[in-house]
Amino acid sequence: MLIITRKKGESLMIGDDIEITISKIDDGSVKIGIVAPKSINILRKELYEQVEKENKMAMNINMDLLKGIKKK
Amino acid sequence: MKFISKIHGEIEYKENEVLTFNKGILGFTNLKKFILSDLKEYEPFKLFHSLEDDEIGMIVVSPYEFYGNYEVKLSDEIINHLSIKSPEEVMIITTVTLSSDPKKITTNLQGPIIINNLNNMGEQIIIDNEKYNVKEPLLKE
Repeated sequence: MLIITRKKGESLMIGDDIEITISKIDDGSVKIGIVAPKSINILRKELYEQVEKENKMAMNINMDLLKGIKKK
Repeated sequence: MKFISKIHGEIEYKENEVLTFNKGILGFTNLKKFILSDLKEYEPFKLFHSLEDDEIGMIVVSPYEFYGNYEVKLSDEIINHLSIKSPEEVMIITTVTLSSDPKKITTNLQGPIIINNLNNMGEQIIIDNEKYNVKEPLLKE
């Protein structure tokens, strides 16, 4: 992992077309501006983790529990 | 062809029904081949099962069966990955998390599975929209 120190207003480049700018630093949180091609998906990591966790939970299958469910 | 699942026993499928998930699904990125199999006694639910791991399967459903207004905006990225040419090719399913309390049976509207019916390629995407939750109850009171 690469660790870089940046000050407010400074940026870094990832490859030629992704630019990350530190726009605000405030008591334990930073605001980050990202300029990237539209084809690149940017998501908060918690979302990934939530979906990963839900996938694992969905793998506990007991068919009996499905019986009472009918669509609206 | 036949696949023996530890969850559901024998699953019959045809070679041309095999779904390819090049990125796997979240948490199981090593699994690339899946099958979607009807559960006749449990319609509209289906079984989404790995063909590479006999313990990995999930109940899935078309979210529109329960949430008629559900909306997914496909990014350019997913349209490219799955070579989607027109909306008719697209099938959307969401996973179901079971519970012994029917009110706690939920579906994951935040992480839908997108499948291109024409080429059988699929991918799970994440929707960053606070309207949709990973645990959306199927039965509303």
